[in-house]
Amino acid sequence: MSSTIVDSAAEFDVRDYLRKEMMPHFLCPGCGHGIALRALLWAIHELGIDKDKLAVVSGIGCAGRLSAYIDANTFHVTHGRPLAYATGLALARPDLHVVVITGDGDCLAIGGNHLIHACRRNLKLTCLMLNNEVYGMTGGQVSPTTSETRLTTTTPLGNAEPNFDACALAAAAGASFVGREVTHHVPKLKELIRAGLSHPGFAFVEVLSDCTEIFGRKNELGSSAEMVLRQKSELRPEAYRDTVDTPFRSNDLPTGVLTKTDRAEYGTAYRKAAAVQRAAKAAKSAAGISK
Amino acid sequence: MNRSNASSSSVESGQLRPTAAAAKAREPMNVLIVGVGGQGVIMVSKALASLAQSKGFEVKQSEVHGMAKRGGTVFSHVRFGPQVWSPTIPKGEADILVALEWAEGLRWLSYLKPDTGIFICDTKRIVPPFACLNRRPGAPLRYSRETPAEVKQHVAEGYAIDATQMAEELGNERAANVVLIGALSTALDFPPEDWEKALSQFVPKKTIAVNLEAFRLGRGWINEARTRVGVATVPAEAVPASMEAGYSVRLEITQQWCKSCDICVKLCPERCLRLNEERVVELAQPEKCTGCRLCELLCPDFAIRVHLDTAVPTQGAQA
Repeated sequence: MSSTIVDSAAEFDVRDYLRKEMMPHFLCPGCGHGIALRALLWAIHELGIDKDKLAVVSGIGCAGRLSAYIDANTFHVTHGRPLAYATGLALARPDLHVVVITGDGDCLAIGGNHLIHACRRNLKLTCLMLNNEVYGMTGGQVSPTTSETRLTTTTPLGNAEPNFDACALAAAAGASFVGREVTHHVPKLKELIRAGLSHPGFAFVEVLSDCTEIFGRKNELGSSAEMVLRQKSELRPEAYRDTVDTPFRSNDLPTGVLTKTDRAEYGTAYRKAAAVQRAAKAAKSAAGISK
Repeated sequence: MNRSNASSSSVESGQLRPTAAAAKAREPMNVLIVGVGGQGVIMVSKALASLAQSKGFEVKQSEVHGMAKRGGTVFSHVRFGPQVWSPTIPKGEADILVALEWAEGLRWLSYLKPDTGIFICDTKRIVPPFACLNRRPGAPLRYSRETPAEVKQHVAEGYAIDATQMAEELGNERAANVVLIGALSTALDFPPEDWEKALSQFVPKKTIAVNLEAFRLGRGWINEARTRVGVATVPAEAVPASMEAGYSVRLEITQQWCKSCDICVKLCPERCLRLNEERVVELAQPEKCTGCRLCELLCPDFAIRVHLDTAVPTQGAQA
């Protein structure tokens, strides 16, 4: 009876996947990135991915810092370029599971170009974008995903720009798997990341995370617990898109798997073309020797 | 609810059917149909009311279903006779109580006539959420623990049918209410052909065949049960008094990692966590913890690990 209630959470101990000497992590109290990291590691645990076969690449920022805590092959790279590094890594080592952890500013502003081309290329990668609507590490500047009217240190009168819908961008640029989830629903988030990790192509997963210390405080959104609960009360799953009119985060961001197509994967196509060329070359040289 | 002398006249009631008794007294026949929203209570009462009307009786029907919705309690009063004034059945005046769900049947028992009332009940159990207030896995339900045999001692004539199971064997679980109509039909004087005609009007066209079969099954079951000596019983599974699963919850808290963000304390459904003087989380009320793992999953600092120790059996609650 109890076995139906207790699922894989029972045997998954997140500490087995952490570099314990680095803990406690540097994130602020109540930061949603920790929850997102747990969901990622849980999904990796469920898929049974060997730590030596896992490569985590991350950029700069609060989210980028997460790779330092994962007990796997990790790569903390330049601002906005984790997708570029990961592309090279995934092409050279197709046996690895390459996961990119990036923040909203890292991914959409500094690395916006890399994102759209990675989506277009459709190389087997998992891009986890942790969206907390703000540049938290540098003191709370406005980011591409900051909702309209929200206060940040650089928008003291409220953000006047419309925010970026990263999932719509990724889908439009050609990503073959696009999904979004909030940190409050950890098992659902885990399922989404798991689906992304097992997708044979570029998987873009946006995690709506909370920055409580900087964004939450500036906008008087309450304690960490209140911010997590707000996710629950204002959540708007894709299925209810037309029936619920309370938007999530003052804008229209549906959650769940938003796009899934079976476009050809770049790495496979590339290796196939290379093999054909190699074979042709070998045949040519063999013919030359026999003459 | 004291029915100590109720069973004394049960022999008599076997000979004089309530319909005949009602006709003699020129009093309306009172049939109370109860169940849970979605089971088809209203359909049963509609079929009965239309049949009685076609026989020239005056019929009054009164139901509450709007507020109940699916899963809530639904009841329907059907009264018919030469002259009917009130649409509702007074307490202790129902000739027949048809219950589509076990606990709903018990809830309405006081409406049954103590000396002649017939109680026809499905043993199907639909456990409402408020019977599950203890959220520990395997905790005892606060659902009625009375067995059919116990209940039958308190009614003049009682039948506990596993109608849902019978309907399921016919291939459509939703025909359970028609099995009960079949059972009900034996207590009234209307010929079975007219019942079948009335039923065919109220069930979806595609399911007429299975429903007629269910009707005959229910009718046959009661007739067979009545020929047996004494009250009919079905082997209803005994409800164990306590089936608390043997497990205990242990929280492993890495104190150095806790940043006192308060998420676990505020989001714990049982409110059994708190921050101590050093602003580090601790399990304040271990007896309340159900081991749902919400704190573990939502801790951004990985400071909580929930262990469910199933090896330790706690079977002291048997007495």
